[in-house]
Amino acid sequence: MSIEMKDLTVTFKNGVTAIDHADLVIPKGVFGLLGENGAGKTTLMRVLTTVLTPSGGTISLDGIPYNEKNYGKIQQKIGYLPQEIDLYPGLTVQECLEYMGDLAGIPKKVCRERIDFYLGKASLTEHRKKKMKQLSGGMKRRVGLVQALLHEPEFLIVDEPTTGLDPEERIRIRNLLVDFSEGRTVLFSTHVVEDLVATCSQLAVMKKGRFLYAGGMRELLGKAEGHVWLCRVDSEEEARELERKYHVSSKQYADDGLRVRVLSEERPGVECTEGKVTLEDAYIYVAHK
Amino acid sequence: MRKEWKICLPFYKVAYSVFCVAILSVIRGVFFSYEVGAALEPVMGLLAAVFCADTYVQEITSRRSEVERLYPMKNRMRSIFRRMLIQESYLLLLAVLGYGLFYLFQRPMPLSEMEPEAQGEMELFLAYLGAILVTLVFWGMLAHTLACLGRSLWVGIGCSFLIWIAADSTFGANILGKWNLFSYTFRNVEDSGDWSWLCGKLLCIAVCAGLAAVLPKIIQKRGS
Repeated sequence: MSIEMKDLTVTFKNGVTAIDHADLVIPKGVFGLLGENGAGKTTLMRVLTTVLTPSGGTISLDGIPYNEKNYGKIQQKIGYLPQEIDLYPGLTVQECLEYMGDLAGIPKKVCRERIDFYLGKASLTEHRKKKMKQLSGGMKRRVGLVQALLHEPEFLIVDEPTTGLDPEERIRIRNLLVDFSEGRTVLFSTHVVEDLVATCSQLAVMKKGRFLYAGGMRELLGKAEGHVWLCRVDSEEEARELERKYHVSSKQYADDGLRVRVLSEERPGVECTEGKVTLEDAYIYVAHK
Repeated sequence: MRKEWKICLPFYKVAYSVFCVAILSVIRGVFFSYEVGAALEPVMGLLAAVFCADTYVQEITSRRSEVERLYPMKNRMRSIFRRMLIQESYLLLLAVLGYGLFYLFQRPMPLSEMEPEAQGEMELFLAYLGAILVTLVFWGMLAHTLACLGRSLWVGIGCSFLIWIAADSTFGANILGKWNLFSYTFRNVEDSGDWSWLCGKLLCIAVCAGLAAVLPKIIQKRGS
């Protein structure tokens, strides 16, 4: 299962271009989509799930072109967890999933078996009789993930599933995604860099509707190699001077002054050593290059 | 069906609808029994509009519609019509209850006691039942469809309210006559053989059929 888009453009009626002539190939496995808020990630996902029709360009899913004639076929292959979804608050977890399964056209017996299986995987079995409104944010996201998987889609799209969750829930969701990605393509959109480090080896970086980078995680890290500097300065004034000249990815007070992480093509003119590149550094480097 | 029941008939909807009918039956004065149906029909129409407007639009506001878009259209439509069936059945029961409450609180006088050729109580009730069924389905379907079209509960309720005001007025009665959406309310009660109000109800049925036909297109509408 691979997804290919060429020259994809989405321009809204108000003239705003959310995706601007973008090309991308999404291979099998967990594929990360990284970008700041408003980069166009959600719009891209809404196009991929056929909620939105692109203004231009082409998309194909396993060779099937996106068009009105093929939408039915394509939709069967997709599972989707939107950024915000409020699943039936008055239904229990079991009822909610059975209802969604029925809507998806899954035979009752098969649906119950799958619900048992996926609830077990998502550690939600003991909560199946709880009403949706009684669940925590993380549990709701996990139920959302289970609903996206009920019809066993080949292409799973998840939009910022870890936003607003505590660290433990984020780890749980990430692990679930990795488990579920076996034999599937998972498009994992987020602006939380750590989530991608933990889950995927391929990713794309989006900014203002364009892909600044698409490829392997290592290659992305390689782009920032030699451009990360760990500087030490004595005063806040010097740190501010660095911030004016370069991209500073972090700043920390230490016993011997301030430690500043700087992204720069050249070695900054203060006391510094070359630092080990993190995905966050690489992302900021690519995004601001 | 049990899950749809829970989805479309939450406690607050049951509570406000029962309250509305109970209050109406207490405060709206009627003298003759033939006035009961006319007293209930417009209010039940408005209640149906408010009650059914969120039938599908709740899927849009909760963003569930984005997930459900991936599901077969016939399953989604089946679910919508099941919800409508549950809500309309409930409202019909409420309309019958309201009719009974009027008799309980207002003790209207049967016209047939004074004029033997006037419609009997059972005949009056059956005519009311037929008329109110069409009224409930029409206003429910109208508000639901308009809400889907505007992708907002308030568009559905607001637009329906404007049509309701126009129909339930002297202006509407004079202009539309027997084709008024509330033709039963404005019927000539003194002539028991006058069934021309059925024209208005036929119009309601025809509009309902049209709305049901366009609904899948509205639901399927893709953003661009």
